[in-house]
Amino acid sequence: MKIFTRRQLPLTIGLFLATLFVLFPLVSATEFSLRQPATSNYGFANYIWFFTAEDFGKYLGISLGLAVVSAIILLVILVPTVIWLNLGGARFRGLVEFVSLLPLVIPVVALAIGAQTALPDFAQTDEIILGFMFAVLAMPYAYRTLDTGLRAIPLQTIVEAARGLGANWLHTIFRVVIPVVRSTVASALFMTLALSLGEYTLTSLLHWDTFTTWVTTMSQSNILGAIALSMFSLIAVFGLLLIISIFIRPTKSNVVAEEN
Amino acid sequence: MNLKRVVAVAAASAVVLGATVAISTPSQAAVNYCKVTDLKTAGGMDALVKAAKKEGALNVITLPRDWANYGEAMDLFSKAFGIKITDDNPDGSSAYEIQTIKTAPAAKQPDVVDIGVSALNGVIGAGQDKLFADYKVANFASIPSKWKDASGAWYGDYNGIIGISYDASVSPAPTKIADLTNPAYKGLVALTGDPTAGQEPFMSVYAASVANGGSVDNIQPGLDFFKKIKASGNFTSVKATGENYVAGAYKIALTWNFNAPGAIASAKAAGKNLKFVIPSDAVLAGTPYIQAINAKAPHCAAARLWEEFIYSANKGKFTADLKPADLKLSGSKLFNTIMGGQNVFVSGGATPILQDLLTKKKTLIDGPDGLNLPKGVKIQQPSPDQQVTGKALVAAQWPTL
Amino acid sequence: MTNQEVSSLNRKGASKWGTLTGRSARVAVALLPLLVFMGIFFFAPLTAVIWDSFQSNDGLFTLQNYADVFKEPIATAMRTSLGLALASAVVSAIPGAVLAFLIESRGSDRLRQLISSVAGVLANTGGVPLAFMFVAALGAAGSATGLFKLLGLDIYTAGFSLYTFWGLVLVYSYFQIPLMVIVFSPAIHGLRREWNEAAKTLGATGSQFWRHIGVPLLFPSFTSAFLLLFASAFSAYATARAMTNGTIALLPLMIGNLLDGNVIFDEVNLAKALAVAMVVVTLLAMVPYLIIQRRAERWQR
Repeated sequence: MKIFTRRQLPLTIGLFLATLFVLFPLVSATEFSLRQPATSNYGFANYIWFFTAEDFGKYLGISLGLAVVSAIILLVILVPTVIWLNLGGARFRGLVEFVSLLPLVIPVVALAIGAQTALPDFAQTDEIILGFMFAVLAMPYAYRTLDTGLRAIPLQTIVEAARGLGANWLHTIFRVVIPVVRSTVASALFMTLALSLGEYTLTSLLHWDTFTTWVTTMSQSNILGAIALSMFSLIAVFGLLLIISIFIRPTKSNVVAEEN
Repeated sequence: MNLKRVVAVAAASAVVLGATVAISTPSQAAVNYCKVTDLKTAGGMDALVKAAKKEGALNVITLPRDWANYGEAMDLFSKAFGIKITDDNPDGSSAYEIQTIKTAPAAKQPDVVDIGVSALNGVIGAGQDKLFADYKVANFASIPSKWKDASGAWYGDYNGIIGISYDASVSPAPTKIADLTNPAYKGLVALTGDPTAGQEPFMSVYAASVANGGSVDNIQPGLDFFKKIKASGNFTSVKATGENYVAGAYKIALTWNFNAPGAIASAKAAGKNLKFVIPSDAVLAGTPYIQAINAKAPHCAAARLWEEFIYSANKGKFTADLKPADLKLSGSKLFNTIMGGQNVFVSGGATPILQDLLTKKKTLIDGPDGLNLPKGVKIQQPSPDQQVTGKALVAAQWPTL
Repeated sequence: MTNQEVSSLNRKGASKWGTLTGRSARVAVALLPLLVFMGIFFFAPLTAVIWDSFQSNDGLFTLQNYADVFKEPIATAMRTSLGLALASAVVSAIPGAVLAFLIESRGSDRLRQLISSVAGVLANTGGVPLAFMFVAALGAAGSATGLFKLLGLDIYTAGFSLYTFWGLVLVYSYFQIPLMVIVFSPAIHGLRREWNEAAKTLGATGSQFWRHIGVPLLFPSFTSAFLLLFASAFSAYATARAMTNGTIALLPLMIGNLLDGNVIFDEVNLAKALAVAMVVVTLLAMVPYLIIQRRAERWQR
């Protein structure tokens, strides 16, 4: 089999171990969520409990919406910047990287308290502010991913071709470049999705209600249900990821692909 | 003749004017409930209930449902008066409550708060903005003066006692704190959090101190005790939460008595059998939590009605027993039909601040089973000043335990 | 890309991009969205925190908060946090780098893209869900613990505990290793196959290639990725909070206790000074990262 060739074997083993490490805690926790003490067997009672809870759809929708908002904000801010960096602004790469990594230097709780004091009242009255704050939190990863993706394609050629044919910058970015790197864009979207469905500290300190805070409220008296909800957040994102990755065409590799 | 006509016209005008003024002014001045300081200025219970119903909403903050049975309190209030309650961040801290009052926009302001007594430091006193509105509930006089502000800005509502929650499978069953050193409990003992961050674990250290030759003046023996059981391997650093309990990460924890009924119920639903006992070598009571009405409360009448409810000594119906006919009663009659907040706290296992009044009026209900105080053991309660010393010691020593 | 190529590009495009002053305007326009965005949603909150860290409880200017940063138990917390960050970076960087290499060099395009997305999701796990997952697996009654017992090994009697320094390092690796994969893959990706071919043509063996070309070229990127992992572990908050009860002294936890706790209410500005101290430390780690990255850039293009 192809995955057991001398060349592929290390990758196969590596991925096997990695998958084991990733899945083991996930499966152990999921086992709890499938327990049904009332009927002494396993089943989906805990999942049905929150699926049919009154505000499940509402809060899930809020978090998904915020994830989309922060993904869009990140794309709007970063894609033009990264394109420019790769075309002619290479001198400023250091500065942009530095700025994109800044959200990692401050603990989230301090950022939340600072935001409460610093942001004007009107900025704190619409939940959409969370979309902006999530974009800040995802910035380091998003920049990295977008930069990698845009460097892997013949960006200069594509842009020159598009501009040469008369496209303006807006058209070039949105109708030419982004479709070519749509797998990268999808990666960035999944990151913001995972972040939005898991972020609690900032959300609760800024007095907002998203899926994560709803989970905490709902979990108060139902321990197994709480576990089911936590697992759902993770599994749902993975599920979406698998489904969508089937439809996204990947970008080509150019790496050392030799016998060693 | 001209003069007579002038006088007549003047008189008629005066009458008309007077009548117009009389008709356009309502029969009593509209009450600004945000400035109301007691039931009398509110115009009586009927008027207060009416105004509260009109507001239709109440913002509470950091009230977990199975904390002293707040869930029942919120459900009862909500159903009886038709007032929708929004609970901001049920798991939040007292610091979060104060921070919210200080910085949140108007729509997010809570109406009432329930904070730890130490949270009053730095927010009450000369030179501070007035955060709370003065309001003296009907039973204000019966609240011990140690636990209330003279002008009615804040007042204690209930307190708890530290006890031992343990899984039924633990053998032998613990009955006192000294038992926790038993080698059979290796890796089984936990606290609900960091004593520098939570009242429950902080008071647990006091309880350990009292049980080991210390006192509420001296928390050091408590710290030494935890150091000892950590070294022996009994004390595990996992946080004592429902989830971790179900996962078997710990089996014994020190918790508030008013958290026990809720914890036992949720454990049962998750297939586990949890028990609770107040240790016979230390009956450690925490200081009362403090109720206050936010000066910037968006729903002033509802806020005041909530406080009247919390301090009501009535013995009445719980949510499950309310009938549609009850809901049609007038304000004060309805108020007297429902269980008073103080008794709701009792049903959750807490000690209500108005315990003496309830006993005198013979309206005190029975608390949940299994939370009995051991006979003959003195109740110890560290005062806020004593807690200041205790905090400093814990903050310095706990991270290097 | 030379200046000539740039201007040839521009000549075909919009006319506003021609002149020298136009270039500065271009720079401003290109950087503006990012800088404005970070200015409002990051620098403004950060400034508020810095401002408050210089205030005493009475609102007067003071340096006392910063003096307190060097006292115990904060000094211990600083040391432990630094130690944890270092340990986590070491423990996660190596498996992460190996995995990144294997995937980039031998994986199909579809696999690489899938891993990129999966890693992005895993790198964002944390807090209570992650803590519970590990308690369920490796807690006192965990499934892995049980499996080990079946094999005859009681890890808890042997001294292992999930709620210790090293337990935390293990839990952190769940999101640190994916982070490493995300951050290090571009470097491997840039290690062009042509170079290996050229080296082979000139007679080099595999290990010679690695010793003289591969490792020296990858080392800077590895170091900068390592520093990123360090910064990530240093400021991790939700997971540490969910896992422990304060017996491991960590700075982010202390900040949380003082800003959002139920016991200590009058040291809010001290907490903000702690946060600023953390920012300073992380920035100190970032600067070498960026210098190294810029040098590594040159051959990656």
